Amino acid sequence: MSKRLDVEIRAGLRGFTLDVAWTAGDGVSVLFGPSGSGKTLTLQCLAGLVRPDAGRIVVDGRVLFDSVAGIHVPSQERRLGYVFQGYALFPHLTVRSNIAFGLRRCPAAEQARRTAAVIERLGLGGFEGRYPRELSGGQRQRIALGRALAIEPSLVLLDEPFSALDLPLRRTLRDELQAILQDWRVPAVLVTHDFSEAYQLGDSVIVYEEGRVRQSALRGDLLRRPASESVARILGFRNVLHGVLRDATAEHLRLEWRGQVLEARAPGDLFSPPSPGTSVAFFVRPEDPRLLRKDGPPPDAAHHGNILAGSVVREVDLGVTRVLMLRLDAPGPPAQGEYDLEIEVPRFVYEVLNLAHDRRWRFSIHRSSIHVLPT
Amino acid sequence: MSPENLSALALSVRVAATATLLNAVLGIPLAYLLARREFRARWLVDLLVTLPLILPPTVTGYYLIVLLGRRGWLGAPLYALTGWSVTFTWQAAVIAAAVMALPLLVRTARAAIESVDRDLERAAFTLGHSEWRTAIEVTLPLARNGILAGLVLAFARALGEFGATLMLAGNIPGRTTTVPLAIYTAVQTGESSEALALVAALTTVSCVVIFVASRLGTTAK
Repeated sequence: MSKRLDVEIRAGLRGFTLDVAWTAGDGVSVLFGPSGSGKTLTLQCLAGLVRPDAGRIVVDGRVLFDSVAGIHVPSQERRLGYVFQGYALFPHLTVRSNIAFGLRRCPAAEQARRTAAVIERLGLGGFEGRYPRELSGGQRQRIALGRALAIEPSLVLLDEPFSALDLPLRRTLRDELQAILQDWRVPAVLVTHDFSEAYQLGDSVIVYEEGRVRQSALRGDLLRRPASESVARILGFRNVLHGVLRDATAEHLRLEWRGQVLEARAPGDLFSPPSPGTSVAFFVRPEDPRLLRKDGPPPDAAHHGNILAGSVVREVDLGVTRVLMLRLDAPGPPAQGEYDLEIEVPRFVYEVLNLAHDRRWRFSIHRSSIHVLPT
Repeated sequence: MSPENLSALALSVRVAATATLLNAVLGIPLAYLLARREFRARWLVDLLVTLPLILPPTVTGYYLIVLLGRRGWLGAPLYALTGWSVTFTWQAAVIAAAVMALPLLVRTARAAIESVDRDLERAAFTLGHSEWRTAIEVTLPLARNGILAGLVLAFARALGEFGATLMLAGNIPGRTTTVPLAIYTAVQTGESSEALALVAALTTVSCVVIFVASRLGTTAK
């Protein structure tokens, strides 16, 4: 069976060029990336609100746009539910009229029945006669969803559905949205620049940057195997560093970094190591390095992997955890400005190890915690 | 108030009301097109609509004579065909007032339409509504207060029109003498009490108009 959604878009708009191609199956596909990377423009092309210069858009086997065949189905006939950023509810209409807005062509009885069903299913009973401004952010989101779902769309498009909400509400509504989309069994394309949102809601994630797709992956693969250094940076990974490859086997790589030799596990079968002497990017999650207790047994390189030494030059208190900026005991300029590595430790570890006063530490980074990025 | 001036008052109201109606029919679609459509001649339409606001009214009146006079571009064929010319009729006063008032309506209504969130219109499109239905059901209702304020201003402008009316319609008592022209005549002939009564009447109407327009303007937000 072919994929449910097949998208190929080239569009130039006011100096910005969008050139993307991706496919998606059932479930939620997330378009993730910094603002201005072309995510919303993609949704508008899908919905027929913007006509691409070239490309092809197929939803569920139905061709909505094909520049070669000269097909451009107007928005009105695409039957895609669009939930706009800020919801775009009609302020002069009641909740009921908002939800019924897309059902104009149905007979009156059918229209009333379907509207009532949507209101009931989304728990909006009792609010039918209210106006959008009288309702909370969460209720507005449900009305916007209800209005889009009422037309029984073959696909729902959601543009930053939580950006209009206060932070504490977002988590709750994320769960709610997930439940609603599962309940209605409707595939969705969701746009966000918040990675935790993308990760929770997306079955697959398409990473956008500067009008291009940098990676398209199932969400688990994305975290484990970002496709490139730029994807790692877009995903907000810390400690994205550069070393020089010394040698490589099928299982291990050895890198030179800041005068140290680091041993890393090879990233997987698909990875073909570059030749020795070339520059490679890698990242280390801040929570992975282990500080070595000074009263413990002497470190065993076979067990601990790479052992490094340095001192804390700066720290950031995040409440539950603290981020320590460490500078290695090595000559030359540090890798990240004034420091080499960020390490995040839980608050209790910070207190037990007396890190506030004891600033010089040895620490280990396990082989499997040094993630080499494809070039 | 003398019978002549009472008839001037009646004529003024009739002329202003008809001119406002004409403005509504022409101006609202024009405002919508200027606000929402990209077309090549847009700058030209915008310029033509705005010009009467900038030009001295007598200059606008002169252009109207060139266009509609008995020997005008449109007036001459009309006269040849029907033997009728619009100049020096009450309809000429309507046309002069309508042209002078149009920029006020179009500019106010256009701003109101432009302030309607475009995502609301896009939402209507994705929900199956044509541009026409969207304009009727979403855009214009949401721009309603701005459009009404524009109509009120247009009515006030039409009521006070002097220069272009004098050029195109003349100052024929009982036929084309509107209140502003009657005031001018009264002052010229030294009938100061009649002038005062007419001035008071126009001032009152203008105050009411400003009040109504500002109320509409604030509730539009």
